Amino acid sequence: MSTRPVPPSFAAGAVRVFGLSLGEMLWSRRTVFLLLITGAPVFLALVARIVQGSGVVPLRVNGAAVDGGSIFGMMIWVFFLRFIVPVLGVFYGTALIADEVEDRTLTYLFTRPIRRGAVLVGKYLAYIVSTTLVVLPSVVLVYFLLVPLGQVARTFVAFAADLGLLALGLAAYGALFALVGAALKRPLVSGLVFVFGWEQVALLVPGYLKRFTVAHYVQALVPHAMPSEGVASLLQSVLRDNPPALVCILVLAAVVGAALWLGVKAVESREYVLDQ
Amino acid sequence: MPIHDQGYRRYAGRRRPTGTAWWVIARQQIRTVLSQKRYLILLLLAWVPFVGRVVQIYLAANFQQASFLATSAQLFRGFLDQQGLFVFLLIVGASGAIADDRRANALQVYLSKPLTRVEYIAGKLFAPLAFVLGVTLLPALLLLVVHVAFSGSLTFVVQNLYLLPAIVLYSVVLALVGAFTMVALSSLSKSRRFTALTFTGLFFFTTAMYQALQRITGSRLWALISPRDMLSVIGDAAFRVPGARALPLWAALLGMTVIIALSILVLERRIRGVEVVK
Amino acid sequence: MTIVTSEHLSKWYGQVSGLNDVSVSVPSGITGLLGPNGAGKSTFMKLITGQLRPSKGQVRVLGEPIWDNPALFQRIGFCPEQDAFYDRMTGREWVSALAGLHGFDERTAADAAARAIAAVELTEAADRKIGSYSKGMRQRIKLAQAIAHEPELLILDEPLSGMDPLMRRRTVKQIKEWARNGTSVLVSSHILHEIESMTSNILLINNGRIVAEGDVHQIRDLIDEHPHTVSIRTVQAHAVARELLADEGVVSVRFDPGGLVVETARPDAFYARVTDLAASGRFGPIDEITSPDDNLQAVFRYLVKQ
Repeated sequence: MSTRPVPPSFAAGAVRVFGLSLGEMLWSRRTVFLLLITGAPVFLALVARIVQGSGVVPLRVNGAAVDGGSIFGMMIWVFFLRFIVPVLGVFYGTALIADEVEDRTLTYLFTRPIRRGAVLVGKYLAYIVSTTLVVLPSVVLVYFLLVPLGQVARTFVAFAADLGLLALGLAAYGALFALVGAALKRPLVSGLVFVFGWEQVALLVPGYLKRFTVAHYVQALVPHAMPSEGVASLLQSVLRDNPPALVCILVLAAVVGAALWLGVKAVESREYVLDQ
Repeated sequence: MPIHDQGYRRYAGRRRPTGTAWWVIARQQIRTVLSQKRYLILLLLAWVPFVGRVVQIYLAANFQQASFLATSAQLFRGFLDQQGLFVFLLIVGASGAIADDRRANALQVYLSKPLTRVEYIAGKLFAPLAFVLGVTLLPALLLLVVHVAFSGSLTFVVQNLYLLPAIVLYSVVLALVGAFTMVALSSLSKSRRFTALTFTGLFFFTTAMYQALQRITGSRLWALISPRDMLSVIGDAAFRVPGARALPLWAALLGMTVIIALSILVLERRIRGVEVVK
Repeated sequence: MTIVTSEHLSKWYGQVSGLNDVSVSVPSGITGLLGPNGAGKSTFMKLITGQLRPSKGQVRVLGEPIWDNPALFQRIGFCPEQDAFYDRMTGREWVSALAGLHGFDERTAADAAARAIAAVELTEAADRKIGSYSKGMRQRIKLAQAIAHEPELLILDEPLSGMDPLMRRRTVKQIKEWARNGTSVLVSSHILHEIESMTSNILLINNGRIVAEGDVHQIRDLIDEHPHTVSIRTVQAHAVARELLADEGVVSVRFDPGGLVVETARPDAFYARVTDLAASGRFGPIDEITSPDDNLQAVFRYLVKQ
């Protein structure tokens, strides 16, 4: 080869790593896990549709009769917002670099003429595409299973908002846990403690603490009423103070940007010692 | 002969009887866990609720004013429920049981020894089983002993004879289902992290699924998809907690048996000396 | 031209020293990096491939610092020791994808991958998943990803591990071919005869320190406390022995069937003496003169004391 190409720029390197990682993420066994947990709400929606269609038992939530739209809203809250989005963020975000370290394949990426940070960003992009490609269609299926066609026009804007906020939630949690995965030795425990510990507590406590959670801003964008089952949810709904939507979007975008920037810094300064 | 042969000689000493090789694996697993500070701390912390209950029993037995703290069957049920977090963390700690061996290609090495697959699996199951029983069955039984010691009589035990089998049943079912599920999941992956996350996800998600389905359809039979709620039914029945249960006891026990059977099926298929890659 | 230079390079992991005050200059060509297990070879490899940052001192590869300098990897190819891959990808896909990270467009990357795979004789298996490869095939595909972008410097960590003897010979031949074509190669191994078949230029590490560097024969000459062993095949062994024992430098003589083995502390003078004896013909023909320990194994043994 008489002429060597110019080493890829940061962005070009990230795009190439994205191409390499997307296939690995989409066709791995983890996708089974991803499909299972995003398939469950679809299954629930199917059950609800059948129950509703049979006319034998009217759909009820906590004893009160509800329509499909309300159940869709409940599922957005209970499944997607409170579980699927943060868990996927922890699951995939912390694994972006940690998986390569564990599999001892990181060396191949870090001995290429691309910045280490580009590797992180490229894998993050692959995570975004993989998760939104599976989660958003699940939401679409649930929507069309639950919401009667006659109500689609009325609820479509809220539905589009749901899709957008879920994508934004995936991006924000993913970036945050990509940083955690790049910077910490045991990112999984830290991630789970953040999601199921810190965020749950901070949302319950009155005051400014909730502003240091991602959930506060994502949940503020939800166009559906928060379901109140149990003391915790009741407290959360009482103590909610929703910032304006634009503020939430900007904060979440800032979280993505800051977390990725810090993650890039962490990856470029850290030494990764692979098990031999 | 003045000059002795320094070459290789076959071992002519005593050998353990066949079928005991599982203990070698189990012992190694236990040693590995106990060598890690965080698990030692976890095991110690798991006994803190026991100490609290001991204080409660002591106060109830010795101070009239504390009679409201008197020992009842619910004390034991409550204690075992309280240990739930520690049980969860101990089981998640076993996520690398087989995943680590698969990662290191050690299965071939293990199964090339005079060690059957059953022994291998038994060895891997032993550690999580032992640790879970060590923070559930053992302290619960000790609480019974403590009560007898502080009250000075066997009256409570005699009047509540069902407590002993209830404690054993609940603890053993909890330990068996947790250990089998985790070890089976561990055999599906080469990553202990992935296994831990999958277990955590399944655990919380099945509960959420049950609650959602129960609300939508009004039927509590959906508890069959939630191991946590099936265990709750078993506990309620064993400890004779009054009130309607989501499922009949036999259904909950059957459900748990199905989970264990599925785990055994997965293990049977995954524990092999070679992996065929197409 | 020096391909790797280090000055007072040290690396420690907490309290444990991995590498201790290493100052070397590795010339172009093929250099063998040798040392027993735990000597510091891996640490040195990781430092010169930018995976670790020096605790002290500095290291330069191809004249530039390697840490946080990814552009330099355009000129370096690295074949790591670990047997780790994206098992779901085929060999061709994997090598192409990694070549693509060097800035090649898709077509060029695919062509480069095909050439590299052909060079390691894996074309027939290139479209099979790496997970189905044997150990030797995996090793070869690892080599392929290191050479696909035609680097100036190849850093190979145990490149022959897992290969059968025939493939080892072919790979050694290929490595020498690359060197002849201008690529410098730094090979880490503890299989001495393979390094010896590739190069006489070595870097010997033990206990985190450089023990010796340079030509193996020159190093041997400098090892004074181990007299050179010279084996002489001749019919009149006793007569030759009597003659040679008069020399001051001769330390010991012992007899073998068909000749004698002499230990001498002054090899140059000794060889001159034996040449004279052979030329004079006074003791009949001297059929063969060899030095069993003028080789890498002896150097390794004497310096590392194993």
